[in-house]
Amino acid sequence: MKVLHRKLLRELLAAKGVLAAIISIIAVGIGCFIAMSSTYDNLEYSRENYYRLCHMADFSIELKKVPVGDLATLTEVPGVINILPRIVFQVTASLEGVEKPLSGQAISLPARENAPINGIVIKQGSYFTDQRQEEVIINDAFARAHQLRPGDHIQLILNNRLQDLLIVGTAISSEFVYLIGPGGLVPEPESYGVFYLKHSYAEDVFGFEGAANQILGLLAPEFQSPNRVREILNQLELNLDDYGVFSTTPLAQQSSHWFLKSEIDGLKVSATILPTIFLIVAALALNLLMSRMAEQQRTVVGTFKALGYSNQEMFLHFIQFGLLIGLAGGLFGILIGYSLAGGMTAQYRNFFEFPSLTNQLYPRVIILGLLISVFFSVLGTFRGVRSVVRLSPAEAMRPKPPLRAKRILLEKMQGFWNTLDFRWQLVLRDIFRNRTRTLGGILSATVGAMLLLVTFSMYDSAFALLNFQYDKLLLSDIDISFKDDHDYAAYFESQQITGVDYAEPLFQIGCTLKNGIHEKKVGITGILSDARLTIPRDTAGNRMEVPQTGILVTRKLADILQVQAGDSIELIPVSGDRAVRRVPVMKIIDSYLGLTVYADFQYLNRLMGEADSLSSVQLKTNPRPAVTRQIYRELKQVPAIQSVNSIRDQKDKLQEVLVDQMIVMIVVVIVFSSLIFFGSILNASLISLSERQQEIATLRVLGYTPSEVGSIFLRESFCVNLPGILLGLPAGYWASKGINIAYDTELFRMPFTIGTMSWVYTILLGILFTLISHWPVQKAIQNMDWLKALNVKE
Amino acid sequence: MPASDADALESPLHHESTILLSLKSISKTYTTGDVSVPVLHHVDLNVYAGEFLVIVGPSGSGKSTLLNIVGGIDVPTEGDVYFHNQNISQFNEQELTQYRRKHVGFVFQFYNLVPTLTARENVIVAADISASPMSADEALELVGLGNRADHFPSQLSGGEQQRVAIARALVKNPELLLCDEPTGALDLSTGRMILEVLGNLNRELGKTVVIITHNSAIGHMAQRIVRIGSGTIAETNVNSQPIPASQVTW
Repeated sequence: MKVLHRKLLRELLAAKGVLAAIISIIAVGIGCFIAMSSTYDNLEYSRENYYRLCHMADFSIELKKVPVGDLATLTEVPGVINILPRIVFQVTASLEGVEKPLSGQAISLPARENAPINGIVIKQGSYFTDQRQEEVIINDAFARAHQLRPGDHIQLILNNRLQDLLIVGTAISSEFVYLIGPGGLVPEPESYGVFYLKHSYAEDVFGFEGAANQILGLLAPEFQSPNRVREILNQLELNLDDYGVFSTTPLAQQSSHWFLKSEIDGLKVSATILPTIFLIVAALALNLLMSRMAEQQRTVVGTFKALGYSNQEMFLHFIQFGLLIGLAGGLFGILIGYSLAGGMTAQYRNFFEFPSLTNQLYPRVIILGLLISVFFSVLGTFRGVRSVVRLSPAEAMRPKPPLRAKRILLEKMQGFWNTLDFRWQLVLRDIFRNRTRTLGGILSATVGAMLLLVTFSMYDSAFALLNFQYDKLLLSDIDISFKDDHDYAAYFESQQITGVDYAEPLFQIGCTLKNGIHEKKVGITGILSDARLTIPRDTAGNRMEVPQTGILVTRKLADILQVQAGDSIELIPVSGDRAVRRVPVMKIIDSYLGLTVYADFQYLNRLMGEADSLSSVQLKTNPRPAVTRQIYRELKQVPAIQSVNSIRDQKDKLQEVLVDQMIVMIVVVIVFSSLIFFGSILNASLISLSERQQEIATLRVLGYTPSEVGSIFLRESFCVNLPGILLGLPAGYWASKGINIAYDTELFRMPFTIGTMSWVYTILLGILFTLISHWPVQKAIQNMDWLKALNVKE
Repeated sequence: MPASDADALESPLHHESTILLSLKSISKTYTTGDVSVPVLHHVDLNVYAGEFLVIVGPSGSGKSTLLNIVGGIDVPTEGDVYFHNQNISQFNEQELTQYRRKHVGFVFQFYNLVPTLTARENVIVAADISASPMSADEALELVGLGNRADHFPSQLSGGEQQRVAIARALVKNPELLLCDEPTGALDLSTGRMILEVLGNLNRELGKTVVIITHNSAIGHMAQRIVRIGSGTIAETNVNSQPIPASQVTW
């Protein structure tokens, strides 16, 4: 078969333009697959290794205070194989030269050896020494953000006392792969850190001798299904009932794990959907090309069969085209995919802290990528050539019967048809007679436009989320939360701080809301009835008044609890008397982060048996940096403060991260989408050119210029692609909606919105790609040897 | 196989000549949609081993269909075709493929060469699937194209292309060479050259050659001429004194 291989190669070379178009679509499809699958594997393997290395906890229980001696019985609960009590507190920190009050978590660790659960990995310096109690190991991202090194000092306010601690090391831990502070969405290592203290020191400084306020646990592998974990946690909660359990958190709901896992799972879905779209388009294009090629080789097929070649041998010969194209597309795809995976993995290194997150080559992914590429190419080829290969040799050698020159439907509408000029008639006939090609073209344009619109919509949604959250819902500049509940005095004091224009108190409680069998642990925020800094809204963005009694529940939580406005549900506080209260759900509101519940400040106080108690204060401040620095300096002097959040910084950081990510994504999608347009249009037009050489030659003889001939092809291209682009709009709308629903989680949701400009850009880009794709077609028309075409033997 | 039998060559109708192929009451009707077009009606014909047979008929007479059926690239609607006493009209597609591969060499009016392969490669295409082929260069030498083996079809004249096609048919060492209007696209002198090559193959290698043509002048070089018209055999003549190809004229 060596000679046939030579034939194959020469024919491939002859069709290099179209092949390059098809190969690039395949390469992009496979590239996406390899990139996403490799990144998925990079993240998933790193995650697994990291969790194993640190003995990642399967659950944690947060409680008020429990004597460590009383915990022995917990490991008797079936499934629990190990537990670790530790002391965890939200703390504030201050560093020389840093104006902003910093906050973070102080976590106790065994003094001598690494923790058996949620251990740490030292990055710089060492573990604790025996030399002093006041040692701290800080998380590496925080250290990097502030250029802290072992040997430096940091001040932490621990239990209302300022403590100077020696940094002995920096570390990372699997529980903080994605570290976000309370209320945050993206890591802010410059303002939020993790501070590991010796357990004995933490006992001492927090007054927790022989006690702990968090229990970590490991479960046996066979007890890790969500239901069993839930059962075990319920049992443990029961056992610990006397010690004020605030919350029980299975690994699945641990914040860092949740973000990481969502990202990893999202990659898996994208790694399936996106490449499939590209590969279907490529298979369609290849199908067109191969049916044309087989049709052109009709006589060759007939001759070969007359010589004694079998159907299988002929199939094999043509399938090799597909095979080679698939391999070429696959190999280019692997190169593209590997470098893209490198970029994506590097991007993830900015958000996720791993001991090592490197881009690896996975033979499994590569082989799978090649197989998928070959499969789609061979499929496209097979469908393209089968009708010709199956012809009997005698039939194959007869010239193809002339095209059934039936009138197309439009021609029957005489009045309309006669108004069209001759060129439009040519265009419309060709479009309607080559239905498969037309449909393939429309589908490709639909997919291209859909991809563009989905991406623009994600951009719009992300910024709508930002605007809703920070321009409509939370209007404060700085939020201060206190370690314990305070009375109104704290609020008045906050108002006195220079530079504070306006302040508002918040009263927050932790509780379980229960409606029959549906229950959820949430926080309720009590706000003033005329609050100006926290404004609950409905979907349309309209302000929702906080009722005098009852609560406002966010839609997601209402769904979880199966409640509607007007229903009454049970409220069980996690601290205090923990007695059941019945509260009415007054209205359903919209929010995009967490499971927000609002109530009137006074009402919530009354409900909890308090009078004017508050847990945090929101400040509206003068935006001048000097004033902000002054406010920070003053706040640093207040030991009762647990954390100071700059809402403005939070918004800026989120915006910066989103813009960075979105811009990269938009550029990549525009390139990919343009490839779909180029590939599809080039393929269809060049095939049409080769089929209609005589028609073109005749037009040239009649005196048509190349650009006049080209305009016929351009019209045809628009007639196919414009409907495709327009169909891409609803397709993009529904795909965006689907993605929006898929991202509707307890932690966050995206508002669903597509801005006017997104629609416009999608259409304009589609048209632009169609125009640019016409350029090589026009060149081919210009360079065509039309005199020779006139002499072609039919 | 009596291919080299001098008697058989000179008088194929002698009773001792071996029948290579026998067509028994062959009919063929093409059906397209609701339209049925009968092309052959109950044709009976024997082809003798080693003979040079010319089937003459006007276009539309059914001669190409007859050749295709003989060559196993088309199947009759009715009747049987025996090749060495094997009924090839009962063959399935695989068996027909094997039949063509082993026993038949085709030469077409428009040569049907693969444009992207050189002359030698076009011949190798056929040699590749044959059990005992001659070498491609030998086949090209036999048709006088040894020095043009590395040329592509577009670099060859019509006559040269047809000779490549003959070499391609020949290289498999088939018993039967079927030629569909082999000179149809050629001028007189080139046509003669092709006929000379075919005559040589018949005489020197003992190949059975069947030519179909609308050009009755070619019949003069045949040992037997079958005239076909409207799908039936009108007459069969034995030519006791075939003339050499160089004297054929039209």
